[in-house]
Amino acid sequence: MRIARRAQAGTMQSSDLMVAVEPAEALSVEIESTVKKQFEHLIRAVAERVLAAHGVTAGRVRITDRGALDYAIQARLETALARAAEA
Amino acid sequence: MVVQLVGGADRARARALVEAQGLSFEEGVDDLVGAFEGGALVATGARAGDVLEMIAIDPAHQGGGLLGELVGELVRRGLAAGHQGLFVFTSPRHAQSFEALNFRLLASQAEVALLEYGGRFEAWVEACRARLRAHAAGGGAAEAGAVVLNANPFTLGHQWLVEQAAARVEALHLLVVREDRSAFPFEARRRLVEAGTRHLPNVAVLDTGPYAVSALTFPAYFLGPGAPVPQIQLELDLTLFGARIAPALRVRRRFFGSEPGCATTRAYNAAMHRLLPRWGVEPVELRRVEAGGAPISASTVRAALARGDVSALKALVPGTTLAYLLSPEGRAVGARLSAAPGRHG
Repeated sequence: MRIARRAQAGTMQSSDLMVAVEPAEALSVEIESTVKKQFEHLIRAVAERVLAAHGVTAGRVRITDRGALDYAIQARLETALARAAEA
Repeated sequence: MVVQLVGGADRARARALVEAQGLSFEEGVDDLVGAFEGGALVATGARAGDVLEMIAIDPAHQGGGLLGELVGELVRRGLAAGHQGLFVFTSPRHAQSFEALNFRLLASQAEVALLEYGGRFEAWVEACRARLRAHAAGGGAAEAGAVVLNANPFTLGHQWLVEQAAARVEALHLLVVREDRSAFPFEARRRLVEAGTRHLPNVAVLDTGPYAVSALTFPAYFLGPGAPVPQIQLELDLTLFGARIAPALRVRRRFFGSEPGCATTRAYNAAMHRLLPRWGVEPVELRRVEAGGAPISASTVRAALARGDVSALKALVPGTTLAYLLSPEGRAVGARLSAAPGRHG
């Protein structure tokens, strides 16, 4: 899919994350997390797997995480992508 | 569940909750949200532009997830409105609660902490550094000087100050205030600074991004009655400059003009002398250049422009600024100025 517009998903609650995506020329994933030191690489791995699975090659993805588990990261990112897709 | 507060009755409940927490309620926000429990409003918060404000939670409901819900909803609305990041000014004792929500502390003073969501500060520093690298003289300098200026518009006084400062440092960074609350729009102010300093090879023109704390946007709602708001605001601004901006851009000296007339600027200059050395930044005050026996100030220029007094303008601004002031764009600003009374800046 292609990120055609700005979109968000998720919350700021504990064990959840907020994902904001917007169109951009290159693909970038920015991660803020209360457990960044320990888990940034794992959050990034999940995000990159989801983006690759959807064929996303461009766009800016911003994640702020409060200790979400992998399936929550996947679900929130997929929802944001669905909202950002062309109609 | 956090919802938008609609109608006068809910606004009145929000006001009561905010005031019960010892905060003051301010009108004119972009979003006002809250959470009800059993028909009673137990939490409220607001957003004005990219600043979150008036966050208040009933004491019986504090310590749970309400703050996250409230702030999450305000951030969601702020990002949806097109803001890249959100700021919050709060009491330093609440800074940690926001850090747990992925806000990051930018600067803290005795009475107030400034935090940011969205991690834009590093991106702004990187953009400044990229500009400096592209600039022939600025990129490699080990130590730089800085001038922060609104340049509303750029005068012979500014030009003289910049020339004096540039002669004393290897590289000089001009930080043009980005906030668009002045008579002249930011893009025009920046362009005039560039045009008026192009003859100085070691001067690079940058901008403050959102990282200048202005008196116009500083929310004082969490400070008690009688708090010295202007003093707190300028101390926070200087802390942000000294503790974060100066080290990021290797600034070791900050230059500014002496100000005999304006009390606000005088207080700001005094605070620079007092505070900047804490962060290893040397404050350098330069005497203002005069024209016709009076110091040149941007407000004098705006008054002359409002009167349409071209011969006065010629004595106050460089040719580059004069050309702009006499252009259709500049004359339009003049027309607005003669219609509305002047303001500091």
